[in-house]
Amino acid sequence: MSNEVEILLVDDSPEDVELTILALRRNKLSNEIHIAEDGAEALDFLFCRGPHKDRSFSNPPRLVLLDLKLPKIDGLGVLKAIRADERTKTIPVVILTSSKEQRDLIDGYNLGVSAYIQKPVDFDQFADTIRQIGMFWLLINQPPPAGAFMARKSQGA
Amino acid sequence: MSFTTKSIAASALLLLMSIGVLSFRSTLREEQDREWVAHTHMVIEELQQILIDVTQAETGQRGYVLTGDEKYLNPFESGVKSIHQDVETFRELTSDNPRQQEAAQQLEFLIEARLAGLRERLEIRRRDGLEAAAKAAATGNNGEALMDEIRERISEMRLTEERLLNVRLAGAAASSRRMRTIIVLGNAVAILILLVAGFVIHRETLRRNLAERNLKHTNERLERRTLDLSETNNELESFSYSVAHDLRAPLRQIAGYSNVMVRDHSAHLDSEERRHLEKIEDGAQKMGRLVDDLLSLSKVGRQELALQETPLDPMLRRVIEELAPEYSGRQVDWQVGELFSAECDPALMKQVFVNLLSNAVKYTRKKERAVIQVGHRRENGQRVIFVRDNGAGFDMEYAGKLFGVFQRLHKARDFEGTGVGLAIVQRIVRKHGGRIWAEAKLDEGATFFFTVGSSESKTKARIAINP
Repeated sequence: MSNEVEILLVDDSPEDVELTILALRRNKLSNEIHIAEDGAEALDFLFCRGPHKDRSFSNPPRLVLLDLKLPKIDGLGVLKAIRADERTKTIPVVILTSSKEQRDLIDGYNLGVSAYIQKPVDFDQFADTIRQIGMFWLLINQPPPAGAFMARKSQGA
Repeated sequence: MSFTTKSIAASALLLLMSIGVLSFRSTLREEQDREWVAHTHMVIEELQQILIDVTQAETGQRGYVLTGDEKYLNPFESGVKSIHQDVETFRELTSDNPRQQEAAQQLEFLIEARLAGLRERLEIRRRDGLEAAAKAAATGNNGEALMDEIRERISEMRLTEERLLNVRLAGAAASSRRMRTIIVLGNAVAILILLVAGFVIHRETLRRNLAERNLKHTNERLERRTLDLSETNNELESFSYSVAHDLRAPLRQIAGYSNVMVRDHSAHLDSEERRHLEKIEDGAQKMGRLVDDLLSLSKVGRQELALQETPLDPMLRRVIEELAPEYSGRQVDWQVGELFSAECDPALMKQVFVNLLSNAVKYTRKKERAVIQVGHRRENGQRVIFVRDNGAGFDMEYAGKLFGVFQRLHKARDFEGTGVGLAIVQRIVRKHGGRIWAEAKLDEGATFFFTVGSSESKTKARIAINP
């Protein structure tokens, strides 16, 4: 894949996906977006396997937008796998969900989520939230140097 | 023990005590009787002694008259001497009896007369010899008659004394018989009373045991029922939570797509179409708020209190600051008194202030100058916090509906709202063991009062969380 994927959007509802894309587009953040409809698909993409075996770990997405209620492997399972692996653990993951359950919040932060956002019903608010997330993680925040953690891992190995 | 049992036992005790006193008195009396008997014997003995002494004096005199031997004068003299002592002793012993005193006097006369006769003959013997004395004895022979009289008198006195004793003993025997009857009867009655008391106590114990068993059963039933209820309640809470939760997703989509239509494709819409789409979005958003409020309500119900000592003043200031966007551009006069530090769940207590103050801000919207007062006062040892506004108020007739879920006292056209806010407030206040109520006048304003648990209710609340 030649194009650099900036956002991995993990959501099983096509309407929610579409609305998120519309919100991104409204804020001129229609960068390269990859969509995964369940947890397993998301992990295949992140760990460069299956249909994504041609991808490289040196080219991770700059942001993962993760729903919690997902088929096969749920959002927290995906987050756990991302944080457990040296090659993916530094990727910013923002949970974007309907749930504001305290248990989900606590589990999310315990597993090292970067931010936790409840999708508002009001679309203007939602679009504004998406704008702020995009601005912060894609423009303001400084990611670690590419391959820095992979290098350390190979040294240690 | 019931009043009846107590009074029965008390009367039994009283009876036994009386019997005890009577028995003691009866014993005293018997002792007295024994003393009387001894006394009478002493009196009789004394009388006997007098007779013996007189006889001794007589014998001594006779010995001297017959022999002229001086040695016979000794028994005579000692007899005479002890006669006087004996009579004196007798007098003392019978000092309480005038009849015996009189008899003693007469006896003494007789004895004196007899002794005088004896002395006279002694004199004759000493002076004129045996013959003259024998002659004197033969001529003036009233000595034997006197002696008989003395004997008779003594025997009479002895009889008097014995009769007296018999009367006394008869009285004593009667009273002792009476006493025995009383004691026996009293004891029987006391035993009967105690038996009755025992029976009553037994019956009461049985009844109490039965009542206790019933109470225990009722308690168990109640506990089971409470458990069932709280389970049902939990099920309902989680049901309403998941319903509310799952409702949010389609609502978001309805609102989202309508918004996109209006905002991004407005060029293709005429004004009526745009208005309809906006209505759809408004409706979805309203329902979204409803669902969110329901979620908070059910969350309050399920949430456990995390109690900690919380200063309420900074919390109140923060809430007023956070509400600023809701009253920007309006003239709101905040009159905030001093609050205190309370043991409560800070997040939930903040929710109480947010809901009450945003209500006050909302319902004063139509006033040119809103006045919102917050403070506290003491009432029956409890601290009551109040939030007062000069807004729309409400008719006190509907005050009962104020805290019900989805209950609204104002038209949505006048004041928007879901009718859940006050229900949440009430639930939080009650969860803290407090009370909430309101006073209002239509168009003049409303005041909400709530207590933040007394020490007692705080304990109760704490027990409710950590049983």
